[in-house]
Amino acid sequence: MYNVIQLIVKYGAHLLFVVLQVICFSLIINYNKAQKDIFVNSSNVFAGKVADQQTKIVQFANLKSQNDSLMRENANLIENIIKIEYSSDNIPASDSLLNQYRLIPSNIINSTINLSNNHFTLNKGSRHGIQPDMGVIASHKGLLGVVRNVSENFAHVISLLHSQTKISCAVKGRKGHGTLMWKNMDPLRMNLESIPKHEFIAVGDTVITSGYSTMFPKGLLVGKVEKFVIPPGSNSYSITVKLFNDLTNAQYAYVIQNIFGSEQLLLEKEVGNE
Amino acid sequence: MNKTISTNVIRAIILFLAQIVVFKQITFSLGGMAFIHFLIYPMVILLMPIKTPRPVLLLTAFTFGLGLDMFYDSIGIHAAALVFTAYFRNLVIAFIEPVEGYNMNDVPTIKNMGLGWFVTYTSILLLFHIFVYFSIEAFSFVYIFEIFLNSIFSFIISFIVIIILQFLIRTKY
Repeated sequence: MYNVIQLIVKYGAHLLFVVLQVICFSLIINYNKAQKDIFVNSSNVFAGKVADQQTKIVQFANLKSQNDSLMRENANLIENIIKIEYSSDNIPASDSLLNQYRLIPSNIINSTINLSNNHFTLNKGSRHGIQPDMGVIASHKGLLGVVRNVSENFAHVISLLHSQTKISCAVKGRKGHGTLMWKNMDPLRMNLESIPKHEFIAVGDTVITSGYSTMFPKGLLVGKVEKFVIPPGSNSYSITVKLFNDLTNAQYAYVIQNIFGSEQLLLEKEVGNE
Repeated sequence: MNKTISTNVIRAIILFLAQIVVFKQITFSLGGMAFIHFLIYPMVILLMPIKTPRPVLLLTAFTFGLGLDMFYDSIGIHAAALVFTAYFRNLVIAFIEPVEGYNMNDVPTIKNMGLGWFVTYTSILLLFHIFVYFSIEAFSFVYIFEIFLNSIFSFIISFIVIIILQFLIRTKY
């Protein structure tokens, strides 16, 4: 108690100054409209800034789950695009046909890009419905590869940039189809072979999947025709395709689950055995 | 001692009346940019005896400022500025102390301290007071340019008036 009194005696004037100023400013803020507005607004701005920063941090922490939900949404949208592609056929499609393809969103967790045979790994596996020989795409605009092996939680995918890649493709709006292959070690370009040379194509045409396999539905965009030549003595074009997507920085992938794929393969096998 | 108190109380009342009756009514506008106010009431604090204890200065400033605010419709603004001035008065007095020091009963007037000392003393504290007053009135340094403009012009006018009053009215205490 004595100490407190001593303190007040020693610093009384300063204390009094602070107290009087606090009184003055509370009076100013409470009884003067202009000053009150400024005070309230500034504190609002300050509070707003704090809340803004907080939201940013929380949003950053939520990025992963948001990404997942966006990917799920994307998967639904791409499924719809595929449905539209098929529903424009002349034959009216049944509901089961419309739902033939399902997409499984996943992340690429490991990948090689500069070997002559490239692979990558997805963080989803048989537990999520992935089976070998399913197609993998980056989006509606860009293929990634084909699943080779699956474990319970992971899938091993042959990249497009692989010497064994063979994907049936067509040129949009033109007749005929060919095989997409990777020959020139350029991660942005691939080759489309065996489109017969009596068909007409032009530089800038869009290359799409043909749908003549169980892996990819038809109509997925692959790339653009960059240039084409007819090798001497050949019956078909050799087309260089500039891919729409850059496989070197792919992070997300959708695995295409073809619900009737195994049925189709079984039927084709039976015919082949005869 | 009693004379000192009564002189100061009477001076405070006269200055109070002069400020609200006369000087409050005179406001010049300079091209719509700066508004010149006559703020001569800080003399109440400036002219109190040099050895006045700080709490007395502060409480006087607070009551005087609040009284003024009631007539200016700006509760707290003059009081806050005047309390600031009262608080820093002793610092300024210590800062510009003459070589021979102060006497116990010195009153800071031209007659006692000389013109040079008085001009330094008044200009520092008056400018400080006016700047603080306009800053609190604007309440935001967004208006820093207007605050400076108002402060400088109001300071010049108020300073001239205070010096003239010093020559006209000479008090002993």
